[in-house]
Amino acid sequence: MNEEYLWDKSGEPDPEIQQLETILGTLRYQPKPLELPDVIQPASQRQKNYLPWLAIAATLLLAMLAGIVWLSFRSKGLEKKYEAYAPTPAVQNPAPTSIEVPTPNREEAVNKTAPTPRQRRDFVARHRPRPVQLVPSQEALLAKEQLMSALKLASEKLNLAEKKVQGPTPNQIRNQHKVG
Amino acid sequence: MFELEATADLLLMNPQAKASMEPAPTETRVEVVLVTAALAGDRDGFGRLYDMYASMIHGILLARVPRGEVDDLVQDIFLHAFKKLHTLRDYAAFGPWIAMIARNRAMDFHRRSRETVEVTDDLRSTDNSSTRAKEILELICDLPQAYRETLVLRLVEGMTGPEIAERTGLTPASVRVNLHRGMKQLREKLGYPEGV
Repeated sequence: MNEEYLWDKSGEPDPEIQQLETILGTLRYQPKPLELPDVIQPASQRQKNYLPWLAIAATLLLAMLAGIVWLSFRSKGLEKKYEAYAPTPAVQNPAPTSIEVPTPNREEAVNKTAPTPRQRRDFVARHRPRPVQLVPSQEALLAKEQLMSALKLASEKLNLAEKKVQGPTPNQIRNQHKVG
Repeated sequence: MFELEATADLLLMNPQAKASMEPAPTETRVEVVLVTAALAGDRDGFGRLYDMYASMIHGILLARVPRGEVDDLVQDIFLHAFKKLHTLRDYAAFGPWIAMIARNRAMDFHRRSRETVEVTDDLRSTDNSSTRAKEILELICDLPQAYRETLVLRLVEGMTGPEIAERTGLTPASVRVNLHRGMKQLREKLGYPEGV
């Protein structure tokens, strides 16, 4: 086999390859005119498809908007929380009485009760709601004692009734001769 | 032998090998001019590209799809290329670009109409005019894909090795090796004696 002839048809022609070329040449491409529809035009470089870039930009914009909205809602929620924990003016300023006592440092006191947001946070921590401890009165103690004795009585009666229902225990039966 | 020579040519880069492996600069310029003209709306420019590359596309398809489908697919591929010409970045690489379109289209064809292909093939094989050619083509189509395409372009379309390399975008060395190995396997299938 002439390898140079196979590569670029140079040199001495190879009979085998020539024979194959002749046989397979019948299948060679027969030129035909290209039929391009008139409607179709090649898109110029300026008319590139910018849709993917537009989609990416729109997505980023939407994400930014969503972030802004979320942040604003979050800050509003925090403000509401602080307001809920803030001291009520009724506690700080008692109801006015008929006799007004002149207080020369009242304005200062008011200023002290209106803390800045930083102070307010400290204030909230100090005034956590604590459980109220009630001191029982004498009557309540008496009633409690009566209730306890009634409960004890009821419990004893219930135990007795239970024993009657169940009957004597096996040990009681076994040791009956000792008891007599 | 031939394979070793190709490798040696590559390594030594002797002037002869270099000359045979470098693409012709004039044709590249022609392609750039024609693609630019076609993008500007010149249909004749695209027509000239069609004239230059239709045989290559025909060969690529012949190695992959039934013969009866090849002509229609050639037209489809050039129509598709005309529509998508703006996506081509390197105008000089028009050949490799359209060759890749042809390969992809051939794969799509097999994916979509596998049953139809088989039936058409059987029906058309009754034609006696070029039975021998079809038999040899079938043998070529049984070879590995890389050898198949190169052999069809060389033996059916009559292109030389350097032309195949330049138009398909493959390196001349790989075309040379594919031709040699493909031819060797084809000779074995045809029952030709070794070393003749």
